[in-house]
Amino acid sequence: MAYASMRREATTDPQSVGRMAKVPVGLERLKPMLQRIAQLGKLLIGIWLAGVAVSMFLIVPQYEGLGNAGRIVIMHVPTAWVSVIAFAASAILSGLYLWRRQPVYDDYALAAAENGFLFTALATITGMIFSQVVWGVYWNWDPRQTSIFVLLLIYAALFALRSAIDDLQRRRQLSAVYSLFAFVTVPFLVFVAPRLADSTLHPNCAFIQGSQCDGLTLEVGKIGLLGDRKVQLLGLERENDLVTATVRVSEPGLSGEHTLYPSYNLATKEMISRPEFPGLRYQLGLERVDLNGSSALLNIEAPGTGVLENRVTLFTFLASLGGFTALFFWMLHVRATLLGVAGALMQREAGHP
Amino acid sequence: MNPTNLLEAGVAIYVALAVALSVWIGIFVYLWRIDAHARNLRHELDRQQRREQAQSATPNVTITRVHSPERGTVDS
Repeated sequence: MAYASMRREATTDPQSVGRMAKVPVGLERLKPMLQRIAQLGKLLIGIWLAGVAVSMFLIVPQYEGLGNAGRIVIMHVPTAWVSVIAFAASAILSGLYLWRRQPVYDDYALAAAENGFLFTALATITGMIFSQVVWGVYWNWDPRQTSIFVLLLIYAALFALRSAIDDLQRRRQLSAVYSLFAFVTVPFLVFVAPRLADSTLHPNCAFIQGSQCDGLTLEVGKIGLLGDRKVQLLGLERENDLVTATVRVSEPGLSGEHTLYPSYNLATKEMISRPEFPGLRYQLGLERVDLNGSSALLNIEAPGTGVLENRVTLFTFLASLGGFTALFFWMLHVRATLLGVAGALMQREAGHP
Repeated sequence: MNPTNLLEAGVAIYVALAVALSVWIGIFVYLWRIDAHARNLRHELDRQQRREQAQSATPNVTITRVHSPERGTVDS
């Protein structure tokens, strides 16, 4: 079926004829040297990412509260980041295709979208492993998980669209337009939506320096959501400078209830006691107290907060980011070359039956 | 060696590293080979395309001599 589709593509694609033979003369002379540099670069990617793996498991210190499971962040965040780069590249190349109508741009746009999908899936899987360790479940329909799932569906629809259209020119045009519209959703789904929701357990404020989780201000007796937990501030008790809050925490689906007692020092303005949410490694922090208004600011304290302040962790994280980005560009080139070769072979076959 | 020993706290991290490195080496070798094959295919296609273009650029005329009783000998 794919073969028949490619054959149809080839027979109706006059633009792909001779596109691979157009190499500038200056580049032709530099080609052997450039190829050697490219080969060295690819070898370097292999060694670099192997080094990142060794550092991730053996050199980076354990995260407070998460143990060895927290090491997955070194891989999880860069793969998510590369997926954004890939979808952006796909949109830019789709725009270039619509402007210049060169099939090679379509090949690269498709390859970038496929790689973006792959890296998003990797980020989702590594996130699910993290979720199992921290939340006790692989999938929790947390806003971050839901938004990444929607993103996967949007790009899966692009591949479905491409396979549903027989006419090559129409397929390329429609998928380029779709890819541009799909990318509009990426910043919203990756960066905005999970931060709009108050109820997320995804540690946005743990790993991105400078970002803040706002927490939840509650008056005594009021109910609110922290993560996927319903919390109710039952009371505030003061003893000298120490204020202790009584907070009732409900399990997701209201399957169980627990009472936690976070505390706060009014003189030093520091959190004192930060009890863990039942069954989780996240803690409940009392960040601010207003005794006159009988209200308190409650927040989730993620273990591993400030993890990138450790230099070894930061360098390994940046090395991972660079390594995965380079790997993406290599994979993009290989896949686009394969798509170009397949198109040219079909074209030749159609031309010489 | 007892397989359960591999999951002990002190050993598990080395086992995880060995698995991760094995997976990465496998992916790297696979990608390297595909890259090489794709590059060779592309070079071969480019070469054939250039050869065909060169052939089509060469004049290709067949001269035949036809004997005609009315018009004598005609070259076409």
